[in-house]
Amino acid sequence: MLEHFHVPEEDKVFVKEDDLRKTTSDVFAAIGMPREDADLAADGLVTADIRGCETHGVSNMLRNYVQMFRDGRINPTPNWKITHESAAVATIDADKSHGLVMCPKAMDIAIEKAKKVGIGAVTIHNSQHAGMMAYHAMRAMPHDMIGYAITGGGAVMVPTFGAEPRVGAVPHAWAVPADKMPPFVLDISSSSVAANKLGLLRRTGAPVLPGLVADEDGTPIMDERDVPEQTRLLPWGSTRELGSHKGYGMAVIGQVFSGILSAGLFGVTNPPGNGSQFVAAYSIDAFRDVQEFKSSMDEFLTYLVETPPAPGHDRVYYAGLPEHQETEKRQAEGVPLHREVVEWYDSITDELGLDSLVR
Amino acid sequence: MLQHFHVPEEDAVRIMPDALRKTVNELFLKLGFSEQDAWQATDVLLLSDTRGVDTHGVSNMMRRYIDMVAKGFVNPRPNWKVTRETATTANVDCDQGLGIAVIPRVMELAIEKAKETGVGMITLGNGRHAGMIAYHAMMALPHDMIGYSITAGGQSMPPTFGAEPRLAPNPHAWAVPADKEPPFVLDISSSSVAANKIELLRRMNAPTIPGMMAAADGTPIMDEREVPEETIVLPNGATRELGSHKGYGLSAVAQILGGILSDGAFGPYEGGHMSHVVAAYSIEAFTDVNRFKKSMDDFLKYLRETPPAPGHDRVYYAGLPEHEESIDRHERGIPLHEEVVDWFDQATAEFGLPKLER
Repeated sequence: MLEHFHVPEEDKVFVKEDDLRKTTSDVFAAIGMPREDADLAADGLVTADIRGCETHGVSNMLRNYVQMFRDGRINPTPNWKITHESAAVATIDADKSHGLVMCPKAMDIAIEKAKKVGIGAVTIHNSQHAGMMAYHAMRAMPHDMIGYAITGGGAVMVPTFGAEPRVGAVPHAWAVPADKMPPFVLDISSSSVAANKLGLLRRTGAPVLPGLVADEDGTPIMDERDVPEQTRLLPWGSTRELGSHKGYGMAVIGQVFSGILSAGLFGVTNPPGNGSQFVAAYSIDAFRDVQEFKSSMDEFLTYLVETPPAPGHDRVYYAGLPEHQETEKRQAEGVPLHREVVEWYDSITDELGLDSLVR
Repeated sequence: MLQHFHVPEEDAVRIMPDALRKTVNELFLKLGFSEQDAWQATDVLLLSDTRGVDTHGVSNMMRRYIDMVAKGFVNPRPNWKVTRETATTANVDCDQGLGIAVIPRVMELAIEKAKETGVGMITLGNGRHAGMIAYHAMMALPHDMIGYSITAGGQSMPPTFGAEPRLAPNPHAWAVPADKEPPFVLDISSSSVAANKIELLRRMNAPTIPGMMAAADGTPIMDEREVPEETIVLPNGATRELGSHKGYGLSAVAQILGGILSDGAFGPYEGGHMSHVVAAYSIEAFTDVNRFKKSMDDFLKYLRETPPAPGHDRVYYAGLPEHEESIDRHERGIPLHEEVVDWFDQATAEFGLPKLER
């Protein structure tokens, strides 16, 4: 994540990973989730924080989830079921499951299928917000598989040339294991900026950058200014000339694999309150010798990080490498939460009669 | 494709698709392709030109293919074979066969697998140029499947923050059937501009577009100027702030699924070595096909009916402009640049073939 979006030094409170996991799981359990599911959902959230993806960590998300449980939009004890199934494929009606619980379980189904036939692909509807998509994709890696995850839904982004938001900022995530190198993990929204990065910008008081968002009428904002009250997300690429049709297209294909394939959901029929996802696992062994593949991955990733940097830059990364480094750092130092977030934890644990977050 | 890249009307010679098909097919036969491979390769080129994807049609590619065969980089009679296989997957050694001849036949195999299990995905190593990869993905459409294809290889694009090209603008393509609406067909390079669009820009004497390419040291060119001699293609997004890591990432995914998963290839490929992936997802395995297609109609209609932003007269979805262009070009012919028609005349004379009819 860009430095621009990180919590300012003076507002940071460091919290240990395990403490954050415990209190977060306690909150999920207190609002009615079985402990096993609460642990799973907490792991998804805290993994985002540990990797430095705080847009999808506890800070923005946990309070939203609590509200969604209270509004009855998330079912803490869902009776989800498979409605279509073949050797490699399944479709799931999630019965309003939390996406952070449903997606890992669906991914486990995909992994089982991939063990048997090479590939497993599962489309999900009637679920809820699924957190950081990389988490679900990464679940395939210990099985020597490539993971893929998409979450559809929402109408927050304008199509190229459009004045009205009609697609979500649908993210796609891939996770690919290597041997000695940290894994390649790409998790990209199809918009110029993830919707909840704007929330972070407002909290930190930073301006929008040119090309990040559009005005209310769909015109791309190409200068720096305060985050306007009403904005439209732009597809990745910002303008047609710079490839906004690519971000728009990635959003549409993501919606097809999640919402349309599972239950015909899109736009207003697939609001964030009625989530849809797609997860898939591809067994490496079904294509190539696993050890050879992993050695090739090491060589490829090394080749990329060793690219000489352009003027003004000191090094070149690959997707997943900064997050891996952040993980090592945060596992040692703790997760830097904004003090406002810690205050929120204190108020919710107080309200639910739980132990307060240790720091 | 942007208007910017189209052949100016005054330089255009309209050639009917059947006439172009005949000459291109004859050229492939002269190169030593089998009847089936010549037909197949021609069909891929013709679909590019009729859909308005001129970058991957005969204008840029035909002469390049002839050159690749002459140099021994392309094997006109490949003996491609499956080297590993499961119910849903396979890995293919292309034996240096031209992608536009080999990939469609491998896609047929992926479709067969998807009929059995729901999904078929095949990686292809030791391949050559894939042409417009939307073609391979679109083969899934008549089978009520979602098609996917990738091609990867070479290095013309730097990673985000990099000064040296270490990847190619590897494209991904998806094709999704609808009921009455033209199908959704997305075919996107992971760079700001397809490498051979820069060639088109030079041919048209058109200027750079800010954010499209980098100077030789990797610094993004953010103004309009004459296309420099030395350029590097930028990942789509142009700068990190605008998401160039997404283009870089998509390129790496393509290289991993294509090159690394098939035969470990990446970096400076020798002799035009390319790797590919094709996949088919059977809609029926997930849901009712008719329900799906009707949903697609509703979704695509919803998208193209988005009120346009100031300065625009309509909103499209991927595949719609190409569908409209295809109708127009089947009626009025394919607008080839004069220079391309001249090239055809030279090539046919050289090979002792009848001239391209116009």
